[in-house]
Amino acid sequence: MPRPIHLWAFLQGIGHYPSGWRHPGAEPEGVFTMDYYARVGRLVEKGRFDAIVFGDQLQSRGVRGRTPEHLAMPTLDPMALLSAIASVTQHVGLVNTLSTTYWSPEGLAERFATMDRMSGGRAGWNIVTTAHPDTAPNFGDEDLPEKSQRYKMAAQTVAQAQAIWRERNAALGPSPQARPVFVQAGQSGDGRDFAASIAEAIFCSAPTIEEGIAFRNDMRARVAAAGRDPDAVRIMPGLSFILAETEAAAIAKDQAILDLADEALCIEYLSESLNCDLTGFDPAGPIPVDHILSQTCFPKADIGRALEKPAAIGLPLGKFASGYVRTPRGHNVFRGTASQLANMMIQWVEAGACDGFTLQPAYMPGELEIFVEEVVPILQAAGALRMDYPGSTLRETMGLPRWPADMAA
Amino acid sequence: MTRSFILSAGIGDPALADPAMAAQFVTAAETAGVDLLLLGRHDSLLFDPQVIAAWAAPRVSRLGLVPLVSSRIAHPFHVARSLSAIDYLSGGLLGWCPVAQGGSAAQLADLVRATRALWDGWDDDCLIIDKESGRYLDTTKVRPSNYVGTHYAVRGPVNAMRPKQGHPVLVCDAASPFAVPGIDVVIAAEGQAFPAAARRLLRVDPDVDIAAMAVRFAAGEIDGLHVDLINPVVELARIGKALAPITQGRPSAGTLRERLGLPLTLRNIHEEIA
Ligand SMILES: Cc1cc2nc3c(=O)[nH]c(=O)nc-3n(C[C@H](O)[C@H](O)[C@H](O)COP(=O)(O)O)c2cc1C
Repeated sequence: MPRPIHLWAFLQGIGHYPSGWRHPGAEPEGVFTMDYYARVGRLVEKGRFDAIVFGDQLQSRGVRGRTPEHLAMPTLDPMALLSAIASVTQHVGLVNTLSTTYWSPEGLAERFATMDRMSGGRAGWNIVTTAHPDTAPNFGDEDLPEKSQRYKMAAQTVAQAQAIWRERNAALGPSPQARPVFVQAGQSGDGRDFAASIAEAIFCSAPTIEEGIAFRNDMRARVAAAGRDPDAVRIMPGLSFILAETEAAAIAKDQAILDLADEALCIEYLSESLNCDLTGFDPAGPIPVDHILSQTCFPKADIGRALEKPAAIGLPLGKFASGYVRTPRGHNVFRGTASQLANMMIQWVEAGACDGFTLQPAYMPGELEIFVEEVVPILQAAGALRMDYPGSTLRETMGLPRWPADMAA
Repeated sequence: MTRSFILSAGIGDPALADPAMAAQFVTAAETAGVDLLLLGRHDSLLFDPQVIAAWAAPRVSRLGLVPLVSSRIAHPFHVARSLSAIDYLSGGLLGWCPVAQGGSAAQLADLVRATRALWDGWDDDCLIIDKESGRYLDTTKVRPSNYVGTHYAVRGPVNAMRPKQGHPVLVCDAASPFAVPGIDVVIAAEGQAFPAAARRLLRVDPDVDIAAMAVRFAAGEIDGLHVDLINPVVELARIGKALAPITQGRPSAGTLRERLGLPLTLRNIHEEIA
């Protein structure tokens, strides 16, 4: 019997590719309607996924007050989407991304406690510290606290929330899971140590099986060093995928979606990534390196290095932007057939590269439907994916133990 | 135009955070012809009413959902986002009732102004969503709010759409009053001052003399009633039946704002200040 594969659907807006909303199989209007989320909820339950995760930010896309014209946005608040999905599903876990830097322990504790009750024990918390500098002015601040400070605050906030949950559970009767399942995605040393101390599931980006193995070994060692059981933590790297009848057809399909990213979209996307508005520059002209370095609020040294070579060979701005959108952002992007994908997933899990995958469909809902219709039955036939849910709570679905500390009054 | 009687009810019982109970309450309120269901009570909040409103959104077809929003823990950026989402998911049946819970009325008013300023950063018709041309939205119809108030400073734009109703229906409980223009509905007890609002609801006990209230509605003294429920399913059935003569035949289609005849008159924060 192969090791069981855990599946998570990481959904944010209309899909993982910035041009995905233009695909015929995408339903960009759907993201504002309940019907769409009810369908997505039923779809992931049919695929026996552990959970739906909605990523989240606390700033709007755009640079210096100019909102992009070609990128699908805004998205709706994940708490609302997941709580509404809870109402129309029975099993799938509901993981809400929420920032420890811009939420109070009281506010988030109340929110998750109510989500856990209303979902019958299916709540999870993707604990993020918020990294985008544009967030601070939305909360009356000038600057984000620096990263190690943010992780210190995160540890305090989580500890305070745990104390509130214990107190509330004692007073009102416990919510089904006592507290949400803790999920984290730290990559830095600070982030990984924080994850090792509390996370029950960990997202990461692992573009190759070797990187997956290295990350999982590192995390398991950190978890053990923190005095916890490494088998009580699920490592879930991101996986984007493009499926077709043949590998050649999948590559062509991928190319066609990327081609939907026209120059205007690419320049807006690049502007956002550099935090510098480039929409006023001639796409046929040179990359305005000095302008970018004077405007960006991201680390100038890193950006300077990344721009050095394209600027030196005289690459026009438009071409550079198009290339940028086409370069995968550190996640594994699979292109091929359903059985190739199923085999790859089984191979990664068997090799100890991960415990499952955080699927990031290129566009929604079309590509996720194809996965559930075609890849899920292959995984089930191979004995790698459950036929039915083992229980009703997210922690049961993930096969994770309860923490004795959550029970104490 | 004939005036429509407004029936409002509130549930503060922690049983509301039990999905089996909540399902019964929501069904009973829809059946009874309730227009506004207040989730939570200003003097006790043992759950997050916004979560319950979102959970209830797929279950309502005419019932307006009105989560209490406490300035004790809420921040306008978070409030603007979650209420926008719930308004869409419910098909435009959302209201909100900001309460101070021990905080100041000034802070509560600032929370309302800041939240509205974030919603006003987006125009109703900003989305284009044209797959052919690749234009998703009209960038000239989104702007930072740059709101600086007495308690909150929020730059924006908020990463949430302007709500389906423009702004969800704003309800003020006179037990936790705040002063802003454009309050849609106010709830006050007999003898308590009614803050200025488009509609006035009298707070009554579940066993109130309904016939006497119908007379006061007909005389234009009040626009409807608000009942704080203690035993929701039983009381809703009774009140629904007793009020049937004046609640039957009211419009049931459209958003909550449309149905209650409450057009959004405020366009943006600058008009509000002026
Ligand atoms: C798959 C994945 C999903 C993530 N989703 C979010 C998100 O929705 N919101 C957010 O603010 N950060 C998100 N992050 C960022 C992480 O929380 C974290 O900050 C990032 O991986 C960098 O690690 P560090 O904080 O240790 O530097 C995500 C990261 C990964 C790998």
